[in-house]
Amino acid sequence: MDNRLRDLSEQLAAGLIARREFLRKAAVVTGGTAAGLGVLRTMAGAQAKPKLRVWLFKSFVTAGNDVLAKHIETWGQERKVDVELDWATFGDREQKFVAAIEAGNPPDVAEMNLYGPMRYKPALRDVSKVATEIAKAKGGLLPFAEKATKVDGKFLGVPRYAMITVFYIRKDIMEAKGLKPPKLYDPDVVEFAKKTQDAAKDLWGFGQTLNRSDDGDGFMQNILWSYGGGPWDKDGKPALATSNREANLKALQFAVDTIKKHKIQPPGVMGWTDVSNNEAYMAGKLVTTNNGASLYYAMVAKKHELAAKTLLTLTPGGPAGSLVGGSCYNWGIFSKSKHAELGEDLIRWLEDETRFTEYMNASVGQAGPVYKGRADHPYWKSDPNFEAILQNILRSVMPGHPGPMTPAAVEVQAQKTLTDMAGRVVTAGLSPEAALKEAHGRVEEIYKIRRG
Amino acid sequence: MSIQAAQLPAKAALDGRGRAVAVGLRRVLGPDYRMGMLFVAPILLLVLALVAYPFGYAVYLSMTRKYVGLPPVWVGFDNYVKLTWDGFFQRAVVNSFIFTFGSVGVKLVLGMAMALVLTSQIRWRGFWTGVLLIPWVAPTVVSALNFLWIFDYSLGVLNYLLVRVFRLLPQGIGWLSEPGTAMASVIGVNIWRGFPFFGISFLAGMKAIPGELYEAAAVDGATALQRFRHVTVPGIKNILIIVVLLSTIWTFNDFQIVYILTKGGPGGATQVLPVFTYEIAFGAQRLGEAIAVALYMLPALAAVIIVLARYMRRGRRS
Repeated sequence: MDNRLRDLSEQLAAGLIARREFLRKAAVVTGGTAAGLGVLRTMAGAQAKPKLRVWLFKSFVTAGNDVLAKHIETWGQERKVDVELDWATFGDREQKFVAAIEAGNPPDVAEMNLYGPMRYKPALRDVSKVATEIAKAKGGLLPFAEKATKVDGKFLGVPRYAMITVFYIRKDIMEAKGLKPPKLYDPDVVEFAKKTQDAAKDLWGFGQTLNRSDDGDGFMQNILWSYGGGPWDKDGKPALATSNREANLKALQFAVDTIKKHKIQPPGVMGWTDVSNNEAYMAGKLVTTNNGASLYYAMVAKKHELAAKTLLTLTPGGPAGSLVGGSCYNWGIFSKSKHAELGEDLIRWLEDETRFTEYMNASVGQAGPVYKGRADHPYWKSDPNFEAILQNILRSVMPGHPGPMTPAAVEVQAQKTLTDMAGRVVTAGLSPEAALKEAHGRVEEIYKIRRG
Repeated sequence: MSIQAAQLPAKAALDGRGRAVAVGLRRVLGPDYRMGMLFVAPILLLVLALVAYPFGYAVYLSMTRKYVGLPPVWVGFDNYVKLTWDGFFQRAVVNSFIFTFGSVGVKLVLGMAMALVLTSQIRWRGFWTGVLLIPWVAPTVVSALNFLWIFDYSLGVLNYLLVRVFRLLPQGIGWLSEPGTAMASVIGVNIWRGFPFFGISFLAGMKAIPGELYEAAAVDGATALQRFRHVTVPGIKNILIIVVLLSTIWTFNDFQIVYILTKGGPGGATQVLPVFTYEIAFGAQRLGEAIAVALYMLPALAAVIIVLARYMRRGRRS
């Protein structure tokens, strides 16, 4: 009991004060104490650190992940902010985002892939101010990055870096056979593969799955574009089996032929996942493959003997040129966040050139430029293999090409519609025409649903 | 007559009706039904909150167009109608039945064999029982990832054994790259994982069969096969039905094995309903349709559950 209350009760018991006076004084003491506690609580609250929930993408480039986490922790200490870090991988990020948004409990800040701004638009905050400010300081955004992060005229993501696919070649085998890097898929890659492979030794000229995977879908997308086709026309309408039919048929036929006719791919390639070609390449079973920089990082980081024997080149093309699907990792702030300003401050901190350079150096070519200023960084001249990464990034196009990047284009890619199409020809015996028609039906349906 | 006096007969009538209801309830629910309701209320609330509400909400969502982050829009039975004519959904239904019945059938045979072997007089029976339970105990994700490596064409141990060690095949098989072998592979992994449950359940049932029955059958000249057919099978009939029904439900809803091994590929050859649901929910992010996919087969599964519940109740009574 409060000493003052005890004194009062003793005075009352001794008859020194009247009951009414006791009640009045007790009320003052109790009220004063309560008010004092309230003030103390407010003061304590004012001194408590704010908490920021940050979700990061856990890439295969673990050194880059470590640098990023370290930067965020340093920011938290400097700004006196409690940072709760969580990671999402290639395999679980969509589930995490969907669950958090639907539960009304998204993080404050998240590192998203190129689909993020379009897919999570209803839950994201307009970050145009900070995105424009950062872009201006770095010489402006590269066009593909703006396309990926600007939705309906507003930036819903602040671009960070681009991750791109390049063509991996076993330089030692190529040189031993006196060959040059192929420029076109047909006939260059086919001939190159036939000349370099040795099926008896389980060494295959080309390793590119057409199974449901990001790698497979990316390849199918690129090959359709490179033959002058693609799922969409320039107005963003479905064109798989209509205006782009002829080009798409040729591209699909070529993709299937690499397995069925030319036999330049390992027999189990249709069962591959995203990591299978990495494993097969590092096991010395492939002469060429398409992959992101993570494979090069893995070889360099592990001091793998094939790191020095690997040449990275531009993705081979088709009759209409060489088109490569781009990416743009970016920072989003969710509209439910009560600490949007802190989130913006964190993004500015992380995109500071010194810090980003440290991250880029650790990422061995995976953190490609999204700002014009970063494309000129000397880092990209530090390894001859980085030139292909840089050039592929600079010419990359987004889902929906040659039309706009739409929710339907994003969903067609996310649903692996194009690999399913190829898979139906390779494994189910459908004719390319029938598979194209079937896939077109799916694209049309997605277009109708997403437009509605 | 005052107003109060006029209200008396009405009040009396109400009291009488209330008493009649109370008597009726007591007759139907028992004399201490109020106390019973008090005891039942917490579990009833829990069931409503944790089962009925989520289920009801799922049914409601399946009748909406629901995209991530946006409010649902009522579309009635549109999602179900659309699914009925969707070729990819139809293929997923067919694949689900092939996967389920292929797996359950073989698990039944292997489980029975396991139980029979473990009831016979073999050495180290406890050890073998433990070994055979490993697939059931191991986490599915770990098992499936191991099989992903085992089935790999170039780097997998299965082709290595078949081609290089035992020289049974001139070249390896693309276990996960051809529709037939891919389906067989996912079924195989499901069987590997699930048959110990059959075996251990049957084993428990067989141990409960009195030995005198076998002795009497032997005295009557019954062969081993006849003893199995006329003593063992009737003795474990209820367990057998329960295990088959439970496994049917679990296998039908199995997601992890197929998703990790093939993601429904190649070309949709192993696309089963749980993976299809997942693709629509997280790939397409059309939550209403995804729930409709999940609920579409509910009547069929409900029939299985009703049969199962009936057998379980019968088992408890006997």
